[in-house]
Parts: sequence; structure tokens; C-alpha cells
Amino acid sequence: MKKEITFTLNNEKINIEADPKWTLLYVLREVLEMTGTKEGCGYGECGACTVIIDGQAVNSCLYPVMEAEGRSIVTIEGLMAKNGELDPIQKAFVDEGAVQCGFCIPGMIMSAKALLDRKPKPTDEEIKESIEGNLCRCTGYVKIIDAIKSVGGGR
Amino acid sequence: MEGLKYVGKRIPKKDAPLKATGQAVYIQDLKLPGMLYGKILYSKYPHAKILRLDVSKAAALPGVRAVLTGADVPNNFKFGFLKDNPPLKSGKVLSTRDEIAAVAAITQEIADEAVDLIEVEYEELPGIFDPIEAMKEGAALLHEETKSNVLKLPWKFVNGDVEAAKKESAFIAEDSYTTQWVTHCCLGTSGCVASFDVSNNLTIYSNTQIPSLAQNDFLEALKVFGLKNKRVRVIQNTIGGGFGSKLDTYAYEYIAILLALRTRKPVKVVFSREEEFLATSPRQPTITRISQGCDGNGKLTFREIEMVLDNGAYTSWGATTPSVMMVPISSLYKVPNIKYTAKCVYTNNTYSQAFRGYGNPQATFAIESCLDELAIKAGIDPVEIRRINANEPGEVTPQNFRITSCGLKDCIEEVVNRLDWKNKHGKRNGRGVGMASLIHVGGAARVYKSDGCGTIIKVDDNGKVDVITGSSEIGQGSETIIAQIVAEVLGVGMDDINVINNDTDVCPWDVGVHASRTTFVAGNSALGAAEKIKAQIMEIAAKNLGEPVEALDMQDGVIFSKNDREKNIPLAKVLRKAHYTLGGRMLVAENFYDPPNENFDQTFRGNLSVAYAYGTHGVEVEVDRETGQVKILNYIAAHDVGKAINPMLLEGQIYGGGLQGVGYALGERMIWDRGYLKNGNFLDYKMPTVRDIPPVQAVIVESDEQAGPFGAKGIGEPGLVPTAPAIANAVYDAVGVRIKDLPITPEKVLRALKEKEGQKV
Amino acid sequence: MGSFEYYKPESVAEAMALMEGSGGKGVYISGGTDVMVLIRQRKLSPGCLISLRNVRDLDYVDTSSGLAVGSAVTHNAIAKNDLIQKRYTALSDAASKVGSLQIRNVATMGGNICNAAPSADTACPLLVLDASVVIAGKSGERAVPIDEFFLGPNKVALGPGEIVKGFAMPAFSEKTGSAYIKHTRRQAMDLPMLGVAARVTIRIDGNEIGCRDALCTIDNISNVLKRFEDEKLVCEDARIALGVVAPRPMRAKKAETALKGKVISEGLFEEIGEIAASECQPRDSIRGEAWYRRDMVRVLTKRAILRAVDRVIRPDDTIWPERLW
Ligand SMILES: Cc1cc2nc3c(=O)[nH]c(=O)nc-3n(C[C@H](O)[C@H](O)[C@H](O)COP(=O)(O)OP(=O)(O)OC[C@H]3O[C@@H](n4cnc5c(N)ncnc54)[C@H](O)[C@@H]3O)c2cc1C
Ligand code: FES
Ligand code: FES
Repeated sequence: MKKEITFTLNNEKINIEADPKWTLLYVLREVLEMTGTKEGCGYGECGACTVIIDGQAVNSCLYPVMEAEGRSIVTIEGLMAKNGELDPIQKAFVDEGAVQCGFCIPGMIMSAKALLDRKPKPTDEEIKESIEGNLCRCTGYVKIIDAIKSVGGGR
Repeated sequence: MEGLKYVGKRIPKKDAPLKATGQAVYIQDLKLPGMLYGKILYSKYPHAKILRLDVSKAAALPGVRAVLTGADVPNNFKFGFLKDNPPLKSGKVLSTRDEIAAVAAITQEIADEAVDLIEVEYEELPGIFDPIEAMKEGAALLHEETKSNVLKLPWKFVNGDVEAAKKESAFIAEDSYTTQWVTHCCLGTSGCVASFDVSNNLTIYSNTQIPSLAQNDFLEALKVFGLKNKRVRVIQNTIGGGFGSKLDTYAYEYIAILLALRTRKPVKVVFSREEEFLATSPRQPTITRISQGCDGNGKLTFREIEMVLDNGAYTSWGATTPSVMMVPISSLYKVPNIKYTAKCVYTNNTYSQAFRGYGNPQATFAIESCLDELAIKAGIDPVEIRRINANEPGEVTPQNFRITSCGLKDCIEEVVNRLDWKNKHGKRNGRGVGMASLIHVGGAARVYKSDGCGTIIKVDDNGKVDVITGSSEIGQGSETIIAQIVAEVLGVGMDDINVINNDTDVCPWDVGVHASRTTFVAGNSALGAAEKIKAQIMEIAAKNLGEPVEALDMQDGVIFSKNDREKNIPLAKVLRKAHYTLGGRMLVAENFYDPPNENFDQTFRGNLSVAYAYGTHGVEVEVDRETGQVKILNYIAAHDVGKAINPMLLEGQIYGGGLQGVGYALGERMIWDRGYLKNGNFLDYKMPTVRDIPPVQAVIVESDEQAGPFGAKGIGEPGLVPTAPAIANAVYDAVGVRIKDLPITPEKVLRALKEKEGQKV
Repeated sequence: MGSFEYYKPESVAEAMALMEGSGGKGVYISGGTDVMVLIRQRKLSPGCLISLRNVRDLDYVDTSSGLAVGSAVTHNAIAKNDLIQKRYTALSDAASKVGSLQIRNVATMGGNICNAAPSADTACPLLVLDASVVIAGKSGERAVPIDEFFLGPNKVALGPGEIVKGFAMPAFSEKTGSAYIKHTRRQAMDLPMLGVAARVTIRIDGNEIGCRDALCTIDNISNVLKRFEDEKLVCEDARIALGVVAPRPMRAKKAETALKGKVISEGLFEEIGEIAASECQPRDSIRGEAWYRRDMVRVLTKRAILRAVDRVIRPDDTIWPERLW
């Protein structure tokens, strides 16, 4: 019953045999073994699984992989440069002390990235909107907001 | 404390890049060759007899490798603080989180499917869900071998003469306060992978907060399983949040071990989010009867508290939370006469456990709410009554706590000033301010036979330093703090220090991440080890440079003479000189730090901690009188931390703790309805989102604790302890109603407002 | 979980044919935020999924006469649409508050309405905006007033295999304002404890409405209304809809009638709130207690009307965003 699908993952074309019942998250974590994208709930309620699809932040746990066909998907693994240099957003999260246990962080960073790609100098309100679907139990969000703001030169 | 290069600095967390790139490996991400996936079947009823359990269909499903039931648990093994909890229950179930069967299969999907194929027939029994009911004469016993549903634990503390003090008090405030179940909501769910080698030695990958104690628990289990004299190795993956949830071993870990033993394959059991809500142990609900009195000048005369805790169906370390509740009860503010009793009661609810603060939040909610009531009765400003009674350095409290550093008064003043208390308090115009303080152990807590932590430091040929510590990183930043301390003592850069902290085969003993003890204990341990290795290094360098040891110093990995900077030698070279010589040596130092604190005696007296942490939270709220909603307009969290080794990480603890406190105060509660969890998901369990954060200021008050590493005290837990009473007090100030039952929901506020105005609801 | 086919038709006709071919065992999926959850919870095991995400004729926002929105338009697209923000504000209020941004980026209004949860956020706005549901079926297209579309909990007036193409709403002038208030325990990622939508069309005899007074722009709406008291602002038309307080999203028709034709004042809105509260049938649930929900219907109906009125007399809310709600 598997079907072949093609999509762009972190700027590279990829071709997989997918079972239509799979979610994108399942394919990323279990099939491609890219475990940077996390599963915190599986129900769209925590944002740990956030990836960027055609420029928009999406919960990959609710996203049928069959819809990935022909689209461009960016995951946390796609942010770091080939030479190992962190993306400015990743660096900001590190430098501002926005990371504690880290489990929510890949999702947070992807949400923030989707925003900053669209809006390099976001307002506080836009920052909050961008991560309102990303739960974090450790940080109280304060330093996460600071980190996102610092990328846009807001601090 | 001047001239510090690493300590006191905002240094990014060492493990942050790994986490920010998605490369950190959590238990969810771990795959071992040949690994099987486990799944647990839970009871359908909160109290029932199991009449029939048929696993044949599950066992026959292709891909299933093992199915276990209670009958497969060898020798009636039970775990837990009172050894009352079998990992798989047989005969009778006592709660809806009771594990009754488990499957191992080649994929998670097959394991999930197999569990659905297990057939169980129950005979439902009436349950007891209210601890007060459970305490009544003639109530059915949950555990037949016990005589009463009240746990046999001696929680009682008495000091002075409360009855006499009552008579002499000018004012007395008395009331009941209740708190709810709240759960940790670690974003990374619980899980483990258990694996046996050919000689039946166990390796368990776990996200425990207590590797050494867990190792001990598992060793004991193996013994009961008939595997004597085996080794247990606990390896921690990156841990996706702890907050106390992983402070005890759980049934799922023993189940994974049994499945691994049966299948001879590594077996992974990782909770789904539903399971995480259902089957991890929350903060216990409490019913607190409190009365406090003061004299005509507002000086506290006595404090009397009777508490009932819903223990749930089994007993974890959480049943010892009353010992930590005693800390604020005996020692928050100066109170000469104290009487405290607590009962933990079995019910058919979920069993409770540790959660950040370990009982302190529940106790402080009652104490600090009641203190405001007392201030009102006495006609004193709530700030004033706190000033009058504030703890001070040098004090010995009724429990014999020897207070060394104490910044409580400073914390109170920070809150008063930053909230503009004078102008904002007492207006009753829908806006109000409130405050509450806390005391917590800040220099470890001797709740176990040892309160120690070991550190080993070794330096390699290239001058790189490995710090091997017993303490665990659960996101709080201990790895970085330890590296900072070692960097400071040795004079090497942060990048040259590698902290190894996740493997009991390698790491020395540590009692665990609890009691806000890691910076203090592991920090002191690392400090001692660093000093020892520095002495070794300097001794060799002195010979090499022809200078006396006292003249030498090290910076950025280079040893030099303070008299003549030209006389210097890089650390790596010192190392190689020592190593590659006849009869050569490598540099290794070891240090075990066990703080000079005391276990409680029979009367619950003893200096539990070497130092005590203080703090005050203040909030300004606005109450919508029509909807009952409470909005926090301003939130000040001032904490006496001794010394901030890393202010950035410390603020992170305060912000994170503070928001957990806000959740506890205003919205979070697990709804257990007659034994069934009704809101076990992130939509219905109202943990705060980024939209719910108030404007918040973390204020660091430094009191320089002499016994702490570079003056530091603990801050892990205090961040959420006084939040709820501060908010409750502010709500009262805003609209004149006191909510005595957490969380402070809009319904409760509105109901109280209507009742106050004589309306019916 | 059994496996299933996943079809990606590109037209409504193709989608309906696939559904017919599945023998009724297929399930339409749009954003999937309800369907995927149900599948994971094993409450739904579809024979096949028929995706509407790539169906071009469901993804449109047409403002040429009134408003026509395709069923596959996402909540985020609705929330960010200028015209909807201006003239159909209740709808953008609701769409911007659904779940989280990640959810809104994929979840659709069609899915929201067809799922027929009593808590569906866009239901109340559609009710007050006099929307009709455009339905494609075997025998062609038909339009059903939204009020007749909701039949009961999780039941809508869709025949087997039928697809909701979109929603059509009449044009409203600048004399009409609307608002939706979602009452939640959290500020994001939350289903409503209850939801209240209101729409009012205002008439003022003679003069043009709109607040020209500089002071007026920052004052709170209750005070602003007092300035208008003599001028006889009349409520010409009104709609009030309530969510989560009945088996299906409902209109508070008695309250609407009581409001129509009356001179606007805050006191009147208090009364209207009470009438609306008497019309609803809330129940106790883990998400809220009945007495509280009923009382909030009273309070929030008043506030929703006030907000809708405010949007007519002070339309320029971009200048003074801080006075806003
Ligand atoms: C975390 C989370 C938070 C949420 N928060 C909210 C919230 O705050 N408010 C709220 O109202 N909802 C909320 N929801 C529910 C859900 O997101 C919304 O109902 C959403 O609008 C559904 O749209 P969808 O496109 O994802 O629907 P789908 O899941 O694709 O479909 C839903 C149902 O409608 C049917 N369907 C879809 N399109 C059509 C069509 N064109 N014709 C016929 N039938 C169709 C499907 O067969 C299915 O039965 C939340 C969901 C999640 C997971
Ligand atoms: S895992 Fe997708 S939102 Fe939680
Ligand atoms: S850092 Fe732990 S959940 Fe966000």
C-alpha cells in the first residue's frame, strides 16, 4: 500500500515510500531518523513537532505525509550551516539562556524562524503569536521572547 | 568576590547548542539494535477485582515477543517508599493507573495493538476518593494488610506551648485551605530502555533524577527477581524536564526490566502524553487547617497546622513531603510556638509524588494567606507584619535550623518598592497588590543517609579537563554551573572543560536532583576536587618553572609566576611532563562532599540544611468583577540566592518557577473525578502558554552564604513556592474576597463576589 | 490501525466521485486538525481519506459582492484578511483565536463548521453574519442558511458525500459592526468555555455616525456612548449567537428582538444580556460549570454588543489600539 512521494527536505530533494496513514512527524523521526523534531503530545497541542512547510509553521504530528508531496519542508536539522555554524536564531537561543531542558526548543526555534523569515523585526505581539502554540514548562518563556527579539536587533 | 572570571557571569549553557540544533538525544530518540517496544495496559476501574485476564490474543499477534501480567512478577516484588506497589497488579486494582499487563513487540504500533487485544473481566468495587472519608472509622481498607488507610508515618512537630500562646494572643486568624493535584507536564515524557548483557547485568537508559538511588532500587529488584550479585548501570539520556517527577522509580521501569529479561532484548517503554498525565505522580492535594496568632504589636505568637494529604493508592517518596512542609511551618518568620501534624491517607486516586517545592507550596499557601488574614484582624499592613517577624541571620529556629545568611528583609523591601506598595495597597478598586515569602532548604537537605555528591577531575595530555560528577543535568544548568566553578578555580577556559554526568558506571555517587541542592552540593564537591587537582598541577609546574607553588597562578590554561609573567608553562605541557617521564603519573583528583547538615531526630529537630534560601513574591492584579477573571499586571519575584554563579541561568529558574507558580495559582488542576482523570491532555490541563505570562521581574538578592560554593545557595525550587498566596492576597486586596482553595478560578472568584454581595449563584 | 488510501483530488466533482467509490467509507479531510486527532485516538478508522486541500475551487476569498469564503480557507488567512477584519470583524475575531498559529495555518473554516462541535469558534460569527452554507452534492449546488445547517451535537445538514464549498455572507455597510468574544481559561491554545458573537446595524437620525471627537477615541466605550445618548443612536438590526451553551451553536432570538429598534444604551445591553442568558441551556462539564456559563452569557453578550457598537462609532481602531479589547 506504500506510495512513492517526493518533496524537498531542508533544501534537498527526497524520495520515500510512504504509508498513507503516516504523519510527517512519523516519517521524520522513525523513517528518516531525524529526531531533532520532537513529539510532545501527538495532538497538535504542544508545538514540539513544529516544522516549516512552504514558509509556514505547522504541527507535523497532525500533518499527513501524503500532503508533503511537492512541498518544501524545513526542520531543525536544516538550520545549521554545513560548516557547523548555528543559524542566528539558534545562536540567540543559546546566548540568551533560552534553553533549559531543551525538549520544546526545536519546535520553538522553527516557529520563530517562520516568523523571522517573514518579518525580520517582529513586534512583541507577533513574537507571542508565533510561539503561542509552543508549550514550554521550563523557561517561563521570558528568555525565549528575548532571544527571538535579539535576532531582529530588537535588543 | 572581585576578579572572578567565570563565576557570576552570564555564560550560556554548555548543552544549549546541542539542544538548539536538535542533536541532543532524549529517551524518545534512543534506538538500540534489536530493541523492542513495550506498552502497558492500565486498569479500567479505580477499584475492582480482576476476575479474568486473557492475554492469548495479544500473545498470538505477529510481532509480539512477550506479554506479562502480575503472575509474571517474581516473588511478589513490590517497590515504593513503603514497598506497597507491585509493578504489575494482580487480583485487585486500586486506581485507574494500575498497571495490569504489558507487552513487548517489534514495533510500537504492534505493541499498542496487542494491548488492545488483552481481555480483562472486572468486578467493580466501591472506591474511596476523599481522604476524609478514607480516614473514617470502618472505611474499607485499600491495603488489607494495613490497619488503617492513614499511612504509618509520624508527621508531627511540636515546639513550645501552642495552647498557652493562644490564650495570650491578641489576635488569631484561623481557617482551612485546600490545594489541588497538579502535574509536572515535562515536555519530554517519561521513559526508559532496559537491556541485559549475557551475564544478566542490567543497563538501563533512563531519565531519572536520582541515578544512584535508582540504581539501588533496581539492584534490589533484581535480587528479588532471583538475580543476585549483578551490576546495574544507569545511563541518563538528555532529560526533557524533571521538576521532581523523576525523583522515584516507577512501575514502567520495572516492567521494562521484566520485559527485557523475558525477551533477552533491549526493551523501550516511553509514555505517550495520555500516559504521562495518567501514570506519573502529581503534587498531592492537601486540606490544611491553620491557625496563627500575634500579640498586640503584630509579633507572631503561635502557628498550629493540621494537614491531610491525599496519598493515593500507593506510596512513593512523596509521602515524605510533610518533612519539607515543616520547613516553612516551623521556620518561615519567627514563631515561638508551633504544632503541626500531617496525615497521608490512602485513596483510590492516583498516587502522589514530588513536584518542585516538595510540599512547601501547599504549606506556604496556607501560612501566607492566613498571615494576611491575621494582619487584617490586627489592623496591620501585610508588609509590616512580615517585616516585624522576618527571619534574620544568626537565628536558630524551633526546628533547630541554624540560619546563616538570610536576605528575607531585603526581598520584602524589593517587592514593596518595585510594586509601589504604598500607593497601591488597600484601594479595593478592582486592583490590588499582595505578597508572600518563602523559606526553603538552600544548602542541601539531609533526607537520606547521605546528602553527598562525588566529583572526579582528570586532566588529559592536551590540557583538557574532564569533570565527572554524580549530579544530573535535567535542564536546570548544573553542568554549566559546575564547569564555571571548575574553570574559576583552575583558571582554564569553559571550552576546555567537559562535564560527564550521566553514567553510574563512571560517575561517583550523588543522592539526586532534589531539594535545590545541586549547585550547593555538587558545586562544593567540584570546588574541592578542582582545588585538589590544582594543587597537583601547581606542584609539578613549580618544579618545572623553578618557582615556589605560592608564586604560581593559572589563567586560560597557562601557569605563570606572579612575580615574573615570562616564567610560564601551558597546562598541557605540565601534564605531558608528568606523564611521559620515568614513573610517570596522570593527574586525577577525587572529592566527595557531604554537607555538614543533620538528619532530623525523633522530634523532627536538626539542622536539615547548611543554608536556607529566602524569597518574596509580590503581584499586582486586576480582577474583573463581572467575570471573576484575575489578570496579573505586575509580578516581582525577589530571591535571596546567596550568590548568583550564573545570573542568566538563575533568572531562567525564577521565570520558569514563577510561571509554574502562576499556573498553580490560577488555572492548573488535574480533574480526578471518582478515580478517573478527566483532563489528561494539554488542551484541558491549563498549563500557561506564552500568552499567559505576566510582566515579570526576577530580582536577585545576594547574601553571600559562607558555606556555599562562591557564596551560592539553592534556587531550583523556590521560584514557585510563594506565588499562589501572593496572588490570593492580591485578589483579596483588589476586591475583598479570599479564595482559600486553589486554583483561583474565575468561577470561585465570581461566586465569592456574589456571596459577598448577598446574591445567590 | 489499519492502513488506508489517501486521495488528493483537484476538483469537487472528483472528490465526490472518490467518496462515492469508497462506498461511503471515505472521510474528507481538509486541514486535518480534527480528523488526524480522531484517527490517533482511534475514534475514527476511515476506509480512505479524501483530501480537500488541493481542490482549487474551495480555496477562495471573494469580496466582489458581500463575502464569499471557500471552505478550505485557513483560519489564519481569514484572520489576516483586511476586509474581513473591517466588515466581518466577528469572524476575524474568532479565526484569530482558534488554537494556535500552527493550527490556524492549516485548519480550515469548512472543517470547523462540518465538525459541528458546539465549541467551534467560527460558528457564532457565521450565525450573526447571516451566512449561508454553499453545499455541493450529486444533484448540484444548494445554499442552506447557517442556522439550519447545525442540527445537533456533531450533526450537520450534509447528505452522504456532500461537500461544503464555502460560505456566503451579505455585504454590510460601515453602519454595521460585529464582534466575537471567546471566553477561555488561557489566552491561547484553548477551546472556548463559551463564545458570544454580536452584530448590530446602527441608524442615527440625520447625522453621520462615527466618532470625530479626539477625546472620544481613547475613552472607554461606556463613556463614549453617553455622549451619544441624546442623538438617538438606534439599533436597526441585530444578531446574537451563543456557542457551547446549547447542543449546537444557537441564535439568541429573543434577545435580538428585544434589541432591534431600540435606542442604544449600556443599560439596554444589560437587559439584552439577561435575556440571552435566559435563552441558553448550558451544562456542567469539565470545561466549565453551567451557572457560570449562563452568567457569562449575560456579561459577555453585553460586552460583545458594546464592542460591535464601538466598531461602528469608532472604526479607526488602528490609531488607538491600546483602547481596544
Ligand atoms: C490543538 C488544537 C486546538 C484547537 N483549537 C480550536 C479552537 O480554539 N477553536 C475551534 O473552534 N477549534 C479548535 N480546534 C479544532 C479544529 O482545529 C477546528 O475545528 C478546525 O477548524 C478544523 O478544520 P480542519 O480543516 O483541520 O478540519 P478537518 O479535520 O480536516 O475536518 C473536520 C471535519 O470536517 C469534515 N470536512 C472538512 N472540510 C469539509 C468540507 N469542505 N465539506 C464537507 N466536510 C468537510 C471532515 O470530514 C471532518 O469530519 C483545535 C484543534 C486542535 C488539534
Ligand atoms: S507533538 Fe505535535 S503538537 Fe505536540
Ligand atoms: S526548555 Fe524544557 S520545555 Fe522548554
